[in-house]
Amino acid sequence: MIVLKTENVTRYFGGLMALNGVNIEFRENEILGIIGPNGAGKTTFINVVAGIYLPTEGKIFFNGQDISELPAHKRCRLGIGRTFQLVRPLPGLSLLENIMVGSLFGKGLGQREARKQAEELCEFLGLSEITRDITRMTALEIKKMEIAHAMATQPKLLFLDEVMAGLNSDETTQMIDLVRKICSRGITIGIVEHVMRVIRELTDRVVVLDWGEIIAEGPYGEVSNDPKVVAAYLGEEN
Amino acid sequence: MRISRYFLYIAILIILLTLPFYTGVYFLNVMDIILIYIALALSWDMLLRSGQISFGVAGLFGVGGYAAVLLNLNTGMNPLISIVMGGLAAGILAWLVGMAVLQLRGMYFAIVTLALAEIFRVIIRNLPDLTGGPEGTVLPSAIFAGNSTKTYWLAIAVAVVSVIASELFRRTRIHFALTSIRNDEIVAKSSGIDVFKYLVFIFVITSAIQGMTGGAYAHIYGFVSPEGSFSVDFTLLPIAMALLGGMHSTWGPVVGAVVLGVVSEFLKLQIPYGHLLVYGLIIVITILFFPQGILGTVGQRLKNRQRLRGSP
Repeated sequence: MIVLKTENVTRYFGGLMALNGVNIEFRENEILGIIGPNGAGKTTFINVVAGIYLPTEGKIFFNGQDISELPAHKRCRLGIGRTFQLVRPLPGLSLLENIMVGSLFGKGLGQREARKQAEELCEFLGLSEITRDITRMTALEIKKMEIAHAMATQPKLLFLDEVMAGLNSDETTQMIDLVRKICSRGITIGIVEHVMRVIRELTDRVVVLDWGEIIAEGPYGEVSNDPKVVAAYLGEEN
Repeated sequence: MRISRYFLYIAILIILLTLPFYTGVYFLNVMDIILIYIALALSWDMLLRSGQISFGVAGLFGVGGYAAVLLNLNTGMNPLISIVMGGLAAGILAWLVGMAVLQLRGMYFAIVTLALAEIFRVIIRNLPDLTGGPEGTVLPSAIFAGNSTKTYWLAIAVAVVSVIASELFRRTRIHFALTSIRNDEIVAKSSGIDVFKYLVFIFVITSAIQGMTGGAYAHIYGFVSPEGSFSVDFTLLPIAMALLGGMHSTWGPVVGAVVLGVVSEFLKLQIPYGHLLVYGLIIVITILFFPQGILGTVGQRLKNRQRLRGSP
């Protein structure tokens, strides 16, 4: 079953074409990697699907419903969750309260249920000392909090935007296991990542973007040997 | 702990309510002003919690005052009800304006609110048949026939309404929404928060409080005038108070209003018309050295001390 389908999605920023006719399908409960060099349009793609930007052209279908014109908060409530490349915890709220925001508004829970759900998520993700000061967390804890925040909205489709950036090797291994655990909860995952080990170990399929266009698609093994992909990453040989 | 805290609130309220029995008229008049400013400083801070700065407090304050006085004068409406209607009028106006301008953010929104206050003043000045024009309108008698005890209780009621509103906003989901919006709107939207709806809501509520406060003020003094009711003091002083006491809290603006209210009363006697200069100085020093205000700075010191001792 197709969870999300983009049809010919194109997005301009003024004269710059950030996405050009992108067709991607997310199958239920798969982990789809979205890779490409810097500026390829990976985060723009997430933003267009999440509703931060509307597509200039093209359509987006979520569980068969056309969501192309829906604002971001409604798409979140439908079940599209996401993390952010640059994590910004909410100051003045504790770790737990940060996570609660997702359940309160993404799922419309009351404060008590939201707190309970946030505690469960912390346990699931291995976050301890949940009332601690958010300004004193490690990189891994911040990333986990960000994931918990997104998961609190109970998404059916979750985008992870460079959640491994800044983590050491052990932490990356831990995070890979975690993403698998999230997927086993029945959540479809779209993962944007520069760490190729993560893509290799985690993804069922990979889509490669370059200059806003899909240049390759398929299992990681195939895609990583595609000359076009190698050229996009390393530059063409003369 | 929680119960003893409620006892404390109730004790403070009882002391405040019984002040007229052992103090004089002058003292009560000073208290009226402080209580009015508590409501304005708090409502300004409540909007600030969403990240939006308003320079239009005086505008909504004046509109509320005019609405209350004119309704009372022309329709014979009970003055207390007319005060509530003043809040309603300001709220409706804020809703109409907010739907149009709350797509703007930060300084752009702030400048629009500044312009709004001025526009209201100019309109009211130029409708002499309805509003009395530049001279304003005088009520035949101030509310409660000028009884200082009763007007003081009215001022307490206004301040208590805004304290309760502020605390409600801090304890409910609204707090989470506003904090998210202030911190990062994109993250807020992606968490399912309808940012525009919340901004309109908070703008309407805070404007209604300002309008109600303006209505109470107008009735306490028994008149409204374009220069008096829309005085820039009603915009600048609440901001100074909230900054001095500590932003994003209920008790910060309250403390700021009390401190600056007392200081200004003292300064008015010492250096008439020079008190605004001292005000400016206080604001500059606060922003430079105590950006978290009195409450924030004291709280931080206490926390640091605990940390030094190693307690959690």
